[in-house]
Amino acid sequence: MRRGLIAAAIAVLASAAVVTAAVAKTSEPAGLAKADCTSSTLGFMGPLTGPAGFLGQEQLSWLRFGVLRYNTASGTKFKVAPGDTQLKSPVALTVGRKFAADDNIWAIIGVSESQGNVVTGNLFEKNDLVMVSGSATRTTLTTPGRPYKTFFRVVPNDSVQGPTIVKYVSGNLKAKNVVVIDSQDDYSVPLAQGVTRGLRARGAKVARESVSADDTDFSSIVANVESNVTVVVFATQVASAANTLSNQLREQGKKAIVFGTDGAYSPSQFKPKSGYVSVFGPDLHFDPAARKLVREYNTYSKNRPFGSFGPATYMAGLVAMTAITKACADGEADRAEITKAVGGTNIPSIIGKNITFTRSGDVKGVDFLIYRVTNGKYSPVG
Amino acid sequence: MDWDKIVQLLVNGVTLGSVYALVALGFSMVYGILKLLNLAHGDVLMVGAFIGWGILGWLGGAQDPSVAVWLLLVLMVLAAMAGCGVLGVAIERFAYRPLRRAPRIAPLISALGVSFFIQNTVLLLYGANFRSYDTVDLVDVEVGIHWGPLNVWVIRLVVIGAALVMMVALWLLVTRTRLGKAMRATAFDREAAAMMGIDVDRVIVKTFFIGSALAGAAGVLVGLVFGQINHFMGFNYGLKGFTAAVVGGIGSIPGAMFGGLFIGLADAFSVGYIEDFTRGRLGSAFSDLVLFLILIVFMLVRPQGIFGKPEVKKV
Repeated sequence: MRRGLIAAAIAVLASAAVVTAAVAKTSEPAGLAKADCTSSTLGFMGPLTGPAGFLGQEQLSWLRFGVLRYNTASGTKFKVAPGDTQLKSPVALTVGRKFAADDNIWAIIGVSESQGNVVTGNLFEKNDLVMVSGSATRTTLTTPGRPYKTFFRVVPNDSVQGPTIVKYVSGNLKAKNVVVIDSQDDYSVPLAQGVTRGLRARGAKVARESVSADDTDFSSIVANVESNVTVVVFATQVASAANTLSNQLREQGKKAIVFGTDGAYSPSQFKPKSGYVSVFGPDLHFDPAARKLVREYNTYSKNRPFGSFGPATYMAGLVAMTAITKACADGEADRAEITKAVGGTNIPSIIGKNITFTRSGDVKGVDFLIYRVTNGKYSPVG
Repeated sequence: MDWDKIVQLLVNGVTLGSVYALVALGFSMVYGILKLLNLAHGDVLMVGAFIGWGILGWLGGAQDPSVAVWLLLVLMVLAAMAGCGVLGVAIERFAYRPLRRAPRIAPLISALGVSFFIQNTVLLLYGANFRSYDTVDLVDVEVGIHWGPLNVWVIRLVVIGAALVMMVALWLLVTRTRLGKAMRATAFDREAAAMMGIDVDRVIVKTFFIGSALAGAAGVLVGLVFGQINHFMGFNYGLKGFTAAVVGGIGSIPGAMFGGLFIGLADAFSVGYIEDFTRGRLGSAFSDLVLFLILIVFMLVRPQGIFGKPEVKKV
């Protein structure tokens, strides 16, 4: 009995020691020893597996492509460390802690999904680790009052996407009866609420529905869609779900078409007979000025399909590498200097105007675009 | 009353119910004989879905199949049934048989372990991206019955029909064949059945084979009608199939069929009407709340289920 108590006490003390060490390491402020400026690592955080895995894989591929090009042109030796968030906040936090504690990581490219930034923003801020996201659009990541001081994004936020969708649905499609569906996460709920408010303010009748991000059957939701509804706005990060919804609307003889938000942009997964999708950056396939780059990427990736997510993450990586190179001009740098250098970025962009940031970390002067999808073929319309 | 909506929800409910019934049958058959909840059963459905997807790809894919569509569907279902049947036998042999005399919690934990093992094996082999059957490329969604408020895609008719055929075949097997008699005898009293000369081990193996084959077929049907499959889809179908088995009366085959249909309809109608019944307080996202409330009510009011018999304990 006594031996048992002693053994239990030792076990408890040992566990406490492990936990304390783990917590201490991650809360240790950055401003670590100066970097090895000749080679540093970018930590990519995004869903490499799970329902949005194909998006994360596209982003990682373009990031690696960008790093290769930059290294070749500049003689640097940047590396990429992938961190799979699986589109789940607890997993993103685990990956974030690992990256924050890794002295070799000098910038986070991501987190791809908005909810991942919500759970890691404070952690990275405490560690002075800059985050440059190529796809997180939730408005409250930068406003009000800049909640995460080291967070930047190269894509416009939902305060732009929401009104863009409202303007098009109301003005161009002249929809008077709309259904807005969210997928119960930090990305889709605020966006869906914003779109709903905007459409109602313009006199449209809006019904709200909600599905789980894992759902694959929407047939009963579709049964709720009235016959006079012309547009179903679906805020989702799973493009194949938008495709299924579109098919089931047609199956039940509904005339409503699906208008997907940027998470649905995927020529390989969302290919309805008729639909629309908004996205934060131009699809390079439609840009004559990007033909050479697209050919280069196709050679690098062996013709891997891509949409808008990859090029935006390419730019996020470029922003980080340019900032690290600038901070390292005197031969050494730390994370805080790199974060400051990112804030002062002004570089040409393949997805629009030059990348410069506002004081809150948002990219300046970039709009959301609308694409029409007809029999799976995408064409820009707004 | 919106009859268009009611008719459509009926169609959706019967489609879902057909799948849940096939899953529930597997649960009921195994529980009836071994008094074991096979928690890996939903994952067997998932494996069936992936086998079907593999056969579809091997035969040219939905865009350009190398055989006639009807033959393609039959081959997908048969391959999934065979593959999952073998998987079920393997699960019984290695995860449950050694624990037959162990306390009842042991095979339950083993079942959980098998479930995680299967999920992660598929994750390792196929990755975690959703896979698509692209059934719409095989048969367009507008092909089917369009009559007044009734809109039924032909694939849904195939799913409902196939499930019905399998249920009838199972019922005939259980009631009209020697194997069926042996299964019923083993379920009634395993020891007595053994004393009567029935090879109980062999009966159990065949039960697992049949139950798992039905789950495999259900996996293909799910892929066909809903288009997407992934390595964690088995959990949801397993849970609802289990609920159906309990509501119908676990251990009862007619109960599993009825329970599946009941839960499928409850699922569809709760999504369709929960907002109306709660005056907007709860949206369609809370439909599972209704389903599992039904389960709790059944457990409290009629724990043996609709077709089940109260457990008699000999003193």
